[in-house]
Amino acid sequence: MTGLIKVEGASKKFSNGVVVFEGLDLEVAQGETLCILGPSGCGKTTLLRAMHGLLPLDGGRVLIDGKPVTQPRRDVAMVFQHFGLFPWKTVTANVGYGLELAGMAAQEVHQRVEQYIEMVGLNGFEKSFPYQLSGGMQQRVGLARALAMQPRVLLMDEPFGALDAQTRETLQDELLSIWEKTGAPTMIFITHSIEEAIALGDRVVVLSPRPARIGEILRVDIPRPRTVAKVIEHPGFVELRERCWRRLRAKDRVA
Amino acid sequence: MNVKVRERTAPSIAPVRRPSRFSVIPRTAREWLVRAASVAVVLIAWQLYAPHLNPIFLRPPSAVAKAFVDLIQDGTLVQASIESGRTLLLGFVLALVIGLAVGLGSSRSWLAYNAANPWITALYSTPSVALVPFMSLWLGIDDTAKIAVIGLFAVFPIIVNTQQGVRYVDPALMEVARAFNTSERRLWTDVLIPSALPFIFAGIRLAIPRALVGMVLAEFLISVGKGLGSLIIIYQNTFRVDRMFVPVIVVAAMGVVLIAIAQWLEGRLVPWARRDR
Repeated sequence: MTGLIKVEGASKKFSNGVVVFEGLDLEVAQGETLCILGPSGCGKTTLLRAMHGLLPLDGGRVLIDGKPVTQPRRDVAMVFQHFGLFPWKTVTANVGYGLELAGMAAQEVHQRVEQYIEMVGLNGFEKSFPYQLSGGMQQRVGLARALAMQPRVLLMDEPFGALDAQTRETLQDELLSIWEKTGAPTMIFITHSIEEAIALGDRVVVLSPRPARIGEILRVDIPRPRTVAKVIEHPGFVELRERCWRRLRAKDRVA
Repeated sequence: MNVKVRERTAPSIAPVRRPSRFSVIPRTAREWLVRAASVAVVLIAWQLYAPHLNPIFLRPPSAVAKAFVDLIQDGTLVQASIESGRTLLLGFVLALVIGLAVGLGSSRSWLAYNAANPWITALYSTPSVALVPFMSLWLGIDDTAKIAVIGLFAVFPIIVNTQQGVRYVDPALMEVARAFNTSERRLWTDVLIPSALPFIFAGIRLAIPRALVGMVLAEFLISVGKGLGSLIIIYQNTFRVDRMFVPVIVVAAMGVVLIAIAQWLEGRLVPWARRDR
């Protein structure tokens, strides 16, 4: 399998000269889920934004399908930690936002939106505004909005980071099953939760603190279809968690 | 079981509102009672005290009430209200059109914002009444000048609030818009204008009392005609203090009604902000 997404020597500095990351290389295969795990402030979100062309890199480049990314592509969709729902749009309008912008006919948008609202379990809330929904439900809308684009690549920026532990686990399980149902799109998932990274990822990249470098890449050989519970019970899980934990801790001390 | 490197909280939660100790609109019977008693005490005292004064200076509320009925019956009040209401409406529409155009137009371009703002700041800080003589110098003494004065009084809160509304758009939503390749036109219709709407309505609520001041002042300072402000001047000159109160009451009522209309409209057009109320 050749890499669908390639990050080549990516570097980014803040305007105050602080190096966020430097010389990062990554390769993500078609259909793979890559989790990027790192301490807060290590620049993993910055990296993801650069991968979507929302931020220019200071050095290196990101290639998708061999083409350098300079602006957001229609076949890449992003889910945000802050949900990023438009408060003035109903659930239906939020989910259909990307499709409508892509110029899809209203009738088709309607059908597609219905399908994805159903998939994330929000039937009955079509006409609700985001403020009327719980955090978990709001992120379901964010997820449906991204999935409705039927993207080849899903960029997940700590999507469950703002949710409580229980809601988070429910959504992790649902993401695992939805991911299977939607034909296993390539997914890059940013998180600071070790369990989440192992539960969702085919590989876990552990980043070091700023300036971020790739500390370690771990392969998660836990069979799919997965659920969070199954992953945690898997004999390989404890060792993987130990390795991630040690890697994060070791770097903490250096920092 | 989750190892958290850092706790995070949802960023989009509405700010918690402290329950205010005193409500603007009375809710309990006791609140109604105190308010009604306060009004009654003042009116009764006025009623009892006024006969001891020279009627040129003050007449009792009963005389004001009678004057009110008289002025309605002879058609003076209706005519004056229509006359003033018409200039008020035209002036306010003028302020709204110019305010939104300037506010939106100067909010997103660096050049336009910096070019417009010294003027907006200077003119907003100047007491608008100081500019009334210029209006009559340039536009004459008829309705055109009065409409312009009302527009001048009302336009600045609308400009400034519209500008702020666009400028304070949530950067997270701007990023979402970019992530979905939103065009500049759709950025306005889907993100910037909805985000600015609550600010625009705040500007409108500030502009209404200013427009009313402009309406009355224009008749005082530009030319006396048949409007409500003119009635105040006319009855002052004819020593009819009872009748003088009547247009004042009507202007006050106009303010209350207009603000209520603006609030109702806001509720209809900004349903997502209901959580704030």
